[in-house]
Amino acid sequence: MLPVASLLILVPLIFAVVTFFTKTKDQAAGLGFLGSLVTLGLTLYAYLNFDSSTAAMQFYESVKWIPILGVNYSVGIDGISMPLILLNVLVIPLLILYSWKENREAPNRFYGLILTMQAAVIGVFVSLDFVVFYIFWELTLIPLFFIVNIWGGEKRTHASYKFFIYTHVASLVMLLGIFGLFYAALNQTGVATFDIRELITQFQFLQPGLMKDGIFLAILFGFLAKMPTFPFHSWLPEAYSEAPTAGSVLFILLKIGGYGLFRISLPMLPNTGNPHLMIMMLGLLGSVSIVYGALLALRQKDLKRMIAYSSLSHMGYVTLGAAGLVSLSVAGAMFQQFSHGLIMSILFMSAGAIQTSTGTRIINNLGGLAKKMPMLTVVMMVGFMASLGLPGLTGFIAEFLVLTFTFANLPVFVLIALLAIVITAGYHLWAMQRAMFGVYNEKLGDVRDINSLQVFSMATIALLVLYFGLNPSPVLDMMIKNSEAIVSLAAVLGV
Amino acid sequence: MNDLMYLAPEIVLVATGLVVLLTGVFLSPKSKNVLGYLATLGILAALALTVKSFGLLTMDGFQVGYSIFSDTLSIDALSQFFKLVFLVVALIVSLASIKYTENSEHTEEFYTLMLFATVGMMVVASANDLIVLFCAFELASLATYALAGFEKQNPRSLEGAMKYFVIGSVSAALMLFGISFVYGATGTTSIPMIAANSGLLTQNPIGLVAVVLLVAGFGFKMALVPFHMWAPDAYQGSPSVVSALLAAGSKKMGFVAAFRIFIVALAALQPDWQLAFTILAVVTMTFGNVVAVAQTSVKRMLAYSSLAQAGYIAMAFAVMTPVALTGGIMYALAHAFMKAGAFIAAGVVVWMVSSEKTGNLNIPDHLDSFRGLGKRMPLAALSMTIFVFALAGIPPTAGFMAKFVLFSSTIQAGMTWLAVIAILNSALSLFYYARLVKYMYFMPPEGKKVSIPLPYAAALLVAVAGVLAMGLWPEPFVEMAMRAAMVLMPL
Repeated sequence: MLPVASLLILVPLIFAVVTFFTKTKDQAAGLGFLGSLVTLGLTLYAYLNFDSSTAAMQFYESVKWIPILGVNYSVGIDGISMPLILLNVLVIPLLILYSWKENREAPNRFYGLILTMQAAVIGVFVSLDFVVFYIFWELTLIPLFFIVNIWGGEKRTHASYKFFIYTHVASLVMLLGIFGLFYAALNQTGVATFDIRELITQFQFLQPGLMKDGIFLAILFGFLAKMPTFPFHSWLPEAYSEAPTAGSVLFILLKIGGYGLFRISLPMLPNTGNPHLMIMMLGLLGSVSIVYGALLALRQKDLKRMIAYSSLSHMGYVTLGAAGLVSLSVAGAMFQQFSHGLIMSILFMSAGAIQTSTGTRIINNLGGLAKKMPMLTVVMMVGFMASLGLPGLTGFIAEFLVLTFTFANLPVFVLIALLAIVITAGYHLWAMQRAMFGVYNEKLGDVRDINSLQVFSMATIALLVLYFGLNPSPVLDMMIKNSEAIVSLAAVLGV
Repeated sequence: MNDLMYLAPEIVLVATGLVVLLTGVFLSPKSKNVLGYLATLGILAALALTVKSFGLLTMDGFQVGYSIFSDTLSIDALSQFFKLVFLVVALIVSLASIKYTENSEHTEEFYTLMLFATVGMMVVASANDLIVLFCAFELASLATYALAGFEKQNPRSLEGAMKYFVIGSVSAALMLFGISFVYGATGTTSIPMIAANSGLLTQNPIGLVAVVLLVAGFGFKMALVPFHMWAPDAYQGSPSVVSALLAAGSKKMGFVAAFRIFIVALAALQPDWQLAFTILAVVTMTFGNVVAVAQTSVKRMLAYSSLAQAGYIAMAFAVMTPVALTGGIMYALAHAFMKAGAFIAAGVVVWMVSSEKTGNLNIPDHLDSFRGLGKRMPLAALSMTIFVFALAGIPPTAGFMAKFVLFSSTIQAGMTWLAVIAILNSALSLFYYARLVKYMYFMPPEGKKVSIPLPYAAALLVAVAGVLAMGLWPEPFVEMAMRAAMVLMPL
């Protein structure tokens, strides 16, 4: 058996380093693409050898790293991490294809950073030790900071700083929580360990009190700010819209906040001082995010900002489904992460293509683009329809599961979230209608359609959206056992 | 004879210094460059001997250590660890100096002073007697005063050296005054004897006066706010290689001396100095970071960030648990790599600007000089990026690991508020470090690509290797630091 979990980090990293030394655009993109294909191959190997019928950790590896502090390099893959790794390795090669023909400065750094990002994100998904987890978690900041700052839009400096410092502070708060958990467990057992699963187990034996809830909230804060969830989202619109297209897609693939929620916060939640209060809080934040994000998306003039806010709205389903604490609502929330990654990739790629062709993203300045950009319009339609939750596409499955199964526990919040469905349909259709249909805005001049590589990459993602929308079980099955495990933890305590 | 054996690294350095000084007299100015290589070789030999001594200590038991020369020097895990720190700094500095002293008439003096300063620091690390400690302290200080003013024609260098000298002398006086009070109360200058007679200190108000004087005296050397006034000027004005020596080396000398004096000798007065250091740590890290944000001279920015870093290390005194001391000691080594590297990288830019004779020569290390450095000098820019991210505590670097141990100990000790302050500071520091990265990578370059001189490249690579090694393979460093901490706080 290959040590897949480690290879999934190492391979992109090695390719990233080599890519930094390439000279031409084609070399850089080619090598980047090759690297991402190898990573995809490894993941498919893991996927084929993956046992969906268990919540247990697979491909587990553990090596002592700093024994004095109980830090081990432990990695593994289970049903929580596998779908997100899949999402990453599926989209990144397509992303590289998408941006292959774009002209930009220093392509070697561009593709090198994309691969570094891939390694860091997969690193978070496979880490089973808090220190390793935190290191990869922080490492994701650096490539994104550079990508936004070098290749971003006009306000890129401001946006990248805001993102960097905002989420870094949130991560530091999370680190405080991790330290707290480590020492609380150390005092209890006398064994120093940073093992994530062991510390979560130890968490339940801690004395209830301010310290215990403080640990939980500090760690949760790191995740909520990264997802992001209302009211910690203020870095999102700027970072998403100022980033270059590839950067926006990488932000979308940065599913580590939601991942942390499932991996760490939810298993800890039933043991907090007042789990019902925490569930209420999560449910409230989720449903407010859904409605608030949708309302803000409705009034945006800039296409990319609209998509950014719709992303906030859609991530709300993750929080809401997690708060539902029913196995299918949790699985729906996990599926939303996967689906959101695919759909938003199409949307950001479309917005990027429109900007490149027309030089603007202001929706009212567009119009009738369908005539000039038919290929784009087709794939973009799939993305928009999936985003507004049309049945047969992945977005529907996720939202349906979340809303249906959360209703049993948190009916009020589901009702609030239902309001947003209308708004979501509204702003999507309205934007499509104004930008793509109607009379062609002659001021835009001669507009070229997307190139064949872009058609291929976007269409492939669109097909994935359709495929997993019709047949979600290849991904959903992996999640079910793990969401059942999370829920049964809560059920034992009567939460 | 046996005693001398334990001092082999120091002896090698002194011998190298003398050889350098003597041969320099006979060499023509053009061939003086060989002296730099000679000094580097000497330092490497001393480094090898120090690393080897760790092996000796392991065999015979770390916690015991050796007392040599009638108990005036102790050779233990703590002293050896700090000797390692000083030698690492000396190695980086001497490598970089090979280029710096290329056209200097005073090459031999430069290396001799640098080597003697290092010897002084190393003896401080071992000192087990206040008089020995003071003498070694002054040996290192006098040598660095001269080095700080090495560019006689540069008014900035002179101003910095002058401030450093005057304030340094005052601090020496305060320190000596404090020592005399300790002697007056206990009748001895030997650190173990003072610790044994600590009852005399606690009963007597003189003990408190001594603590105040010693905190002030060492506070100068450690550049803790409000005793820091000299540091920004001296660091900015000195040649970059000397700034590296001052910030990364001689500041640590203040720390190791303070470790021994306060934690071992004045253990009985712990509540008093612990409170003082808690306040100093908070004030220092906050002040350093806030002021660093406003700097446009990179060396000055690094100087203020160095204050902030000293504030973090001072947390070790505030928390006073074995883990905290481990973290503080580890931080000293991490900081040596990061800060020495960063000053050398700044020095490379200063060299580039002054050799091109363009731009604002008045402040050659202005942020503007760093514009587009990523394109002009990729290696310098990449290593600077690694150093500043390490200083900010981003993994996987030495800075992260050291902060990790140090900050986590604060939580363990129940001083969460202090950890929160330190972490907020750490986040604030990211702002000005990231700004430097922005200038290097996001601003268009002004000027052509410049190839980096080999000695500078070598120095940078040593520092980068250190920063990454501590970040990726921290185990041996944590263990060494832990053993060093046990000398101070036997379990």
